[in-house]
Amino acid sequence: MKSETASPPGTTPATPIKRGFFAKLAADIRRDWDLYALLIPGLSLLLLFKYAPMYGITIAFKDFNIFDGYAASPWVGWKHFAKLFSAPDFLHVFENTVIISFLKIGILFPLPIIIALMLNELRLMLFKRVVQTVIYLPHFLSWVIVSGLFIDLLSSNGGLVNKALSSLGMEPISFFLDNSVFRGVLITSAGWKETGWSTIVYLAAFATIDPGLYEAAKIDGAGRMRQLWHITLPGIAPIILLMFILRLGNILEAGTEQILVMYNPTVYKVADVIGTYVYRMGIGNQDYSFTTAVGVFESIIAFTLVIAGNALSRKYLQRGIW
Amino acid sequence: MKQTVSEKLFNVFNCTFFVLLGLTTLLPFINLIAKSFSSESAVISGKVNLLPIGFQTGTYLYVLQNDMFLNALKTSVILAIVGTAVGLFVTTLTAYPLSRIQLRGRKWILLLFIFTMLFSGGLIPTYLLMQALGLINELPVLFLPAAINVFNMLIIKNYFEELPDGLEESAKLDGASNVRILFSIVLPLSLPVLATIALFFAVAFWNDYFTAMIYITDQELKPLQLFLKELLVASSGEFLKDNVDAALNTTPQSIQAASILLATLPILFVYPFLQKYFVKGVLVGSVKG
Repeated sequence: MKSETASPPGTTPATPIKRGFFAKLAADIRRDWDLYALLIPGLSLLLLFKYAPMYGITIAFKDFNIFDGYAASPWVGWKHFAKLFSAPDFLHVFENTVIISFLKIGILFPLPIIIALMLNELRLMLFKRVVQTVIYLPHFLSWVIVSGLFIDLLSSNGGLVNKALSSLGMEPISFFLDNSVFRGVLITSAGWKETGWSTIVYLAAFATIDPGLYEAAKIDGAGRMRQLWHITLPGIAPIILLMFILRLGNILEAGTEQILVMYNPTVYKVADVIGTYVYRMGIGNQDYSFTTAVGVFESIIAFTLVIAGNALSRKYLQRGIW
Repeated sequence: MKQTVSEKLFNVFNCTFFVLLGLTTLLPFINLIAKSFSSESAVISGKVNLLPIGFQTGTYLYVLQNDMFLNALKTSVILAIVGTAVGLFVTTLTAYPLSRIQLRGRKWILLLFIFTMLFSGGLIPTYLLMQALGLINELPVLFLPAAINVFNMLIIKNYFEELPDGLEESAKLDGASNVRILFSIVLPLSLPVLATIALFFAVAFWNDYFTAMIYITDQELKPLQLFLKELLVASSGEFLKDNVDAALNTTPQSIQAASILLATLPILFVYPFLQKYFVKGVLVGSVKG
């Protein structure tokens, strides 16, 4: 911990008399003006690019058109939000979002935990390091690259997967055009890209477990399976729950950047999610007010979930994200 | 130590599993490399698996001489360099005052920054803002809004907080200003974290296609990732028009493959550093938030 910096020579030490916050701030700024000045670039970018759009949310309550601008466009109250809950379009997209998110959480959330546990059992350190190096790599590739790899791998003209299928005597599958398998493609490619990388947090958590516990268990004759079950898993349980809460906050973000590269009109039916819908209707069709309302709906749910998750985590796990 | 039979069996299974997992990760690349070096007839007939058939390097020569590819590459390189420089500069300047506990109102300013990680105005209001600012189809739109990255800022701030106080205080007694202390004492001690954050920024800018897709319609300004995305979607785009099949022993498929691999190369070059620093970074981020 840092102690309060002593007043520089030449200034009188702060008097113990109670002054208002702003009077103190003014005095501080006079003394350390350059320290406050350093904040200016970052703070201006933050206010301009992050907070100004929050003011822009007002157009969700207006019939915005670009010629009248923010101020002159007429207020329409909750009209766009009412439309949101009655538009079959949106309900469909919402359903897709939730389904894809649940599939991703259900399958891709436990996977890194299992793989981390298995990695932890590797005794050959060199082999372990090589495996880690390989499986972390896809995380650093963009969705465009990953999509390119999968398009090629799954193509019906010379793609490795379809070749394997046909050698097993099965019909080739048009993975990117088939409504019944496209969600599988999304989940598999997301798993391929991020599962390896996601093991890091759990591997780090293993390192925090007291080695003495394992020693004691060995003396008591517990095998590796029992050690895993009674020491390792309970040891990383808080991290698992924490990661789960963080993941829940993203439930309406089903992977917009991924889907925007991978989908096409043929599979809109199963793959169009809130993010892609806002992009097409907003930027493409310039339906600004309605899509802003959709965005606000998404932001508020995400915000509420994170806040609620954090509160629950603090109450039951005695640790929060902040 | 002696192992039981079941433990031995498990070890065999475990090692086999990871060999397969590693292969699953690498196979798509190997397949793509093979295709990019294979001859036209081999690719069209779908014969290429893991090794090139009818080896040729014409595809790469074609891609590397294509103006559109080179132009996109140029934009991406400029973006990665300028974006990283600006991002690192702004983020470090912000992190320093916020790491000093004598900064009055520090908690509130921090909250102002962290709040933007939890809530945002959303895509459309941001788009309309950029339009109002005249940033559509301008290079700065690709890096200015991303220059202040709160996550990176918190990592640098945490690092600054861990530095010993002594040096700074003696400099203060010598009458050095805060800015002087930052540049001549704090930053030279913080090179590891600065290198980490520089890599964070560079990779993020290199990989970003989404921002460009929203704000850039000018063909001249499209970065490599957006160019590749359009190449994947319409494999018969402008890029492939100038009679590829006639002049060269290659196919659109091979050209896609070669372009993808070329865009991946820079990541592979920095990957050893990435792995080392990102693991640390992600841990700092996940532990301290």
